[in-house]
Amino acid sequence: MSLLQIREVTKRFGGLTAVDAVSFDVFEGTIKAVIGPNGAGKSTLFNTLTGYDRPEAGSVRCDGRELVGRKPRDTVLIGVARTFQNTQLFDELTAAENVMVGCQAHQRRGFAAAMLRLPSSAREDRDARAEAGRLLRLIGIEEWLDTPAFDLPAGIRRLVEMARALATKPRLLLLDEPAAGLSAGETGELVRTLERVRDGGVTVVVVEHDMGLVMEVSDEIVVLDRGRKIAEGPPRMIQKDPAVIAAYLGEDSDDA
Amino acid sequence: MGRTLRALAVLVAAVLVACVPLVVTSPFYLQIYTFAGLNALVVVGLALLFGYAGQISLGHAAFVGIGAYTCAYCTVTLHLPWLVAIVAAGALSGAGGLILALPSLRLKGHYLAMATLGFGQLMSLVFVEAVGVTGGVNGRGGIPFPSLGPVVLRSAASLFWLVWAFVAVAVIVAYNLTSARPGRAMRAVHGSELGAQASGVDIVSVKVRTFVLSALLAGLSGALYAGVVGFVSPSSFTLTTSIGFVAMTVLGGSGSLTGPLAAAVLLTFVQYLDSLIPGLPQAAASKLQTYQQDIYGLAIVLVVVLAPRGLAGAWRRRRKGVGTA
Repeated sequence: MSLLQIREVTKRFGGLTAVDAVSFDVFEGTIKAVIGPNGAGKSTLFNTLTGYDRPEAGSVRCDGRELVGRKPRDTVLIGVARTFQNTQLFDELTAAENVMVGCQAHQRRGFAAAMLRLPSSAREDRDARAEAGRLLRLIGIEEWLDTPAFDLPAGIRRLVEMARALATKPRLLLLDEPAAGLSAGETGELVRTLERVRDGGVTVVVVEHDMGLVMEVSDEIVVLDRGRKIAEGPPRMIQKDPAVIAAYLGEDSDDA
Repeated sequence: MGRTLRALAVLVAAVLVACVPLVVTSPFYLQIYTFAGLNALVVVGLALLFGYAGQISLGHAAFVGIGAYTCAYCTVTLHLPWLVAIVAAGALSGAGGLILALPSLRLKGHYLAMATLGFGQLMSLVFVEAVGVTGGVNGRGGIPFPSLGPVVLRSAASLFWLVWAFVAVAVIVAYNLTSARPGRAMRAVHGSELGAQASGVDIVSVKVRTFVLSALLAGLSGALYAGVVGFVSPSSFTLTTSIGFVAMTVLGGSGSLTGPLAAAVLLTFVQYLDSLIPGLPQAAASKLQTYQQDIYGLAIVLVVVLAPRGLAGAWRRRRKGVGTA
């Protein structure tokens, strides 16, 4: 059944309609790719799903719960995690510590317990550290565990951010261009990682320009162009879709 | 190994500080070292707020003032025991921090700086005008020494130990915070608010709690100051004082407690160079004091331009260099 239901979502910035009445479903346990030329509204769509941008119209439901109107943190607590096109790591923290922050999204122990170094707080920290190590191994970057984020290569930063998102124990993972900055070999590795994540029970939506990755990994593809959905279907169908080919190859003369 | 070494260094430093009154007998010098502790107490809070959570306050002298006047009012006017007075001082300055933090920490960057600046200016006006409580420009005198039941701490040495005991507790609490989830949350907020939200961090709560804690520590410092000096007046809690705290914090470096602690002690000594360096000519000393504010300002500018991570960053870099060589 569908885990995520996007219905008629519209987001405007001044006179520009970045996302224009977009609707689609994401089925549980699948990987869905959102593709489209630059400026098609892919990242804005992600922002409307995660509380960073509030759409003017439409509804987004994850497992029946409305996401529109919630704060970013509350969408995380509902089970929607994301990464950013411009990675948003905590530069002063190590890779493991970055992931630990995500691990502790659902924990309750706060300031007082930490100040007094209560056993419960220390235990949560130990658990988080172990979980962070496990996730970095799952993604295959455990050798960067204790490297400060500002020293990480661009591709690894994206993977650490993905591990941090997974650490919040999401049901739905939104990845914004996870393959940018990766070598061909690393991209192949990423495909297998995404499949492992999906098989682990996390539904994935991925915005990506690397068509090789998109065609290989996704169960379904949605194509956006200038804010509108122009096609949706399995990879094989999308490759042959005339509207998609036109959007990618044809430059309209009225393009501003 | 590095961890044990560091624990040892902290222990040695603590013992050295505790032994100061055994070596230094002059009450005047001891009071300078006590003042260094009072500044250090404020700076520990600001190190968390600025160095970890990345939030600036240009008005922390106001919280020191709230603590000092609360202590004065409770002991002199209400004849309450000192212990009650200092608890009230911490509570009131913490509450003041909460009232300021709730609306202004939703603001970002410069707006927060402006809000805290405005709060500081407002409070220095209140300290002058609320004559009934504060004594106005003349201030309030006759504040009793700190006491615990029948034990009155009136010697310079006992006051030194009292203040530095507060510093020690504050440092332990702050260290515990920084090495656990709240500390990571603070640095996450500092690193990327977008990323922090996406990782489930309640950024407003982290900022507000850190701000309140730093205001509370400032208030305790003010209450201790009132007991140590016996007299408080508005001139001690001005924008200049706030900038001094910021200078100590920035010079100390972000993401560190020891750096700001060292900077607090160092910059406190700058005020008393003439007495701390026996051979220093009177003229040079008075020059230094005249330009004290400029020294603070220059320290901030130099650190920001040349060594954004402050003393702590320079120290870490040096260590790293030695290690890899």
